[in-house]
Amino acid sequence: MQLQTNTSQTIAKRDPELVMRLSRLGSFHQSRLSFMRILTRRMTRENWTFSRPIFEFDAKGVGHAVYCAHTPDRTYSLIAFGHDLPPDERSDRVIATRWDSTFTLFDGVPDAADIERLRQNIPLQEAGRVSEKELSVSRANRSVRLWDHVVSRLAAGAQPDQAEVAKVGYLMRTTAVYGSGKLGAADREMIADRPECAAPFQIEMLSVFLTRTYVRDLVQHMAYRKGEAAAVKLDADIARSMGIGNSTGLGMAPFLVNHPKLFNNWISAREEAIAIVRSVNSATKAEVATFRELLDRSILSADIWHSEHEVQVEKLKRLRSDLSALAAHVANADLCGPRPWDKLYAWAESRLGEDAQECLASLMLEPYGGLVDHLADQMSDKDRHAFRIDGTMPVAELRAVLERAYGWALDIDWSAKDQCARAWYVSQEKLEPRLGERFDEPIAPYEQPLAPGRDAAALYAALKDEDGDRSLAAFLLAYPEHRHSVRRAQIVDRAPYAEIRDNTIGSDLMPIDMLRCKLSFFGATHFDPRSDRWVRICMFGNAPYPEELQGSRGDDWSYPPLVKGAKCTTH
Amino acid sequence: MHHSLNEIEALAKRAARGAGLSWGMAEEAGRATRWLASHDLAGPALLSDVLAKNDRLPHEQVAPVSLDGEWHALAGELCPLAAGTALNDCADRLANGQSVNMASVSFPLLVLPFAAWAAIHLNEPVQVRWQNLWICTDGNRVWINDPDREINTRHAAALTCQIASKRTDAGTAPRSRGVVTSEVWAKLDVFAQRTFAPATAASRLLGAGAGVSDND
Repeated sequence: MQLQTNTSQTIAKRDPELVMRLSRLGSFHQSRLSFMRILTRRMTRENWTFSRPIFEFDAKGVGHAVYCAHTPDRTYSLIAFGHDLPPDERSDRVIATRWDSTFTLFDGVPDAADIERLRQNIPLQEAGRVSEKELSVSRANRSVRLWDHVVSRLAAGAQPDQAEVAKVGYLMRTTAVYGSGKLGAADREMIADRPECAAPFQIEMLSVFLTRTYVRDLVQHMAYRKGEAAAVKLDADIARSMGIGNSTGLGMAPFLVNHPKLFNNWISAREEAIAIVRSVNSATKAEVATFRELLDRSILSADIWHSEHEVQVEKLKRLRSDLSALAAHVANADLCGPRPWDKLYAWAESRLGEDAQECLASLMLEPYGGLVDHLADQMSDKDRHAFRIDGTMPVAELRAVLERAYGWALDIDWSAKDQCARAWYVSQEKLEPRLGERFDEPIAPYEQPLAPGRDAAALYAALKDEDGDRSLAAFLLAYPEHRHSVRRAQIVDRAPYAEIRDNTIGSDLMPIDMLRCKLSFFGATHFDPRSDRWVRICMFGNAPYPEELQGSRGDDWSYPPLVKGAKCTTH
Repeated sequence: MHHSLNEIEALAKRAARGAGLSWGMAEEAGRATRWLASHDLAGPALLSDVLAKNDRLPHEQVAPVSLDGEWHALAGELCPLAAGTALNDCADRLANGQSVNMASVSFPLLVLPFAAWAAIHLNEPVQVRWQNLWICTDGNRVWINDPDREINTRHAAALTCQIASKRTDAGTAPRSRGVVTSEVWAKLDVFAQRTFAPATAASRLLGAGAGVSDND
């Protein structure tokens, strides 16, 4: 192993106090440990094969298809239903009731009875029911502008305009991908022991990967039906440049708070990878060359990343200028000297903003798949007993834990209006998580426990007058309202990256920071906030299609190719 | 009707919160209900019964007054969720063969999941006993001494938990799905609905932050 000869791991993981602030989490970039890349690496390594046993659609795109992914041990099938959706019903809000296409990922190969059963349920999404044979439920809407453009161009015998394609980046975007037991589907626990499900969200990523293929095939089908003999096949490079869009609202933000141990494992794996690479004693020419190429491609990626959101526009400006500064520095820096990556990171830490620092941190991992890719298997949460509270812990010990992990929160005046201006709640409609103004809306009675800092400070205050030797079991008997905070504190004590160390209910909260953090772990690029709490992204842009996996070079598809034209930008 | 265990846990947690339990207690109630449902035991039904019985009662009224001696409520019956949670919190007390004794417990089967987690923590089977019923669990499997006896009792005058001897016979293993009748589901949902803010036009627009058109 290279690990033994080329590193002497003395560099520690970065301090949670530094990493777990919202502004930094909201500056994360995809990396080798992103869930999409973990999936495409596995599919390539294990020679997964793919088939399309059913593809039956009319000229309007109404019908259904089945796409099968065959792993060495089993088959997963995406069942896609195409619908004819009137424009006035096309909404990417989670509260919509009809979509252009609806999907489920089926465990195995569906028979006719399965498909019939699912035809009655999948198009209804939340209003339908599925069974333990189904692993996910999702839906997608067309990007109407690009869809019509591509169909009419192909039908007329021409390729789509590449600038138009680049402007949008995808033909369809998903608005929700439900997994793990939702709507009656199989719980994650049912499949967690399968090797291909060891990393998080692999089922959801596979569903999106197959959805992208379906979308390409459907647009082609509709072009052929429209243009008949005049129609042409979509150019493979243009097709590859297109990903699947995704609109993500607030639903993802509470996820990070509600799964502290899982969140810790994501962050901890990436931090471990960064520490390993910073500890590399010397870099080979080939490793340096890989880094330099992907830095160039990152610069291109930032150049073609568009957003009209004012915060993102400013962040992008800084990212672009920082990446130029980084490139200039790298051009002259000696990356063949001792501890090159640690030196480079230290330079970036003192000169660049958080966005570029995180971009660099992800980039540094690229030449070192052999050292870091195995960390993917540590990113799930297998510890089902982390939930248990150790009631024998004395009050004094918990106080010390709180001071260590929540020091940032103990100094905040949580009664000040701007520190607690917001409240998270769940609406009656489709159980959608929302964020409201505590002092303007009647939502406080419905508040969800999504302000761990405030609650930890309240716990700390309650502990103040307690006997330090008293057991937590006795304390909690008298103060059940602090039970969730005690649980979190004990988890954070063992898992230091479990908690966002920032105010999640302040007036200046930007929920998109939480969304970007989660989506960067998915592997998303080109975050395009549409408001402070809603973001569009592109998934699998430039990725190989199923039939291209074996011929694909490495797994660096997340970075746009330097060749002009084959780009994916979201807009 | 068949449900995923995640669905059962999510509904149970919301229902418990809706009935006035703290968030941390509601989490315990959700996990306990899921555990029972995975063993095809009447967790969801018993939860809806205990929530109805203790609806919006303060914790101090139904929790053990003290962890010393026999556990009992201030007046009336112990809530099995409050007592069970305390049992798991101080499971180490069982380690040296001591028992935890409780007086007057409502819906005693709801104590079992907490005994199961104590068993996992101690790496020893734990037995819950009331009247002539003995239920043993190692956290994963369950053994009931008399399968024909009614276990969904409304009340136990006295309940004892202690470490039991290791079992070599099979026991019942958990399943990956749960069955909840639509009647019980609806009862729990009434409690759960109390946790949801009524939607208003303003919150619909502002709360989630998105526009309404997806035609670009």
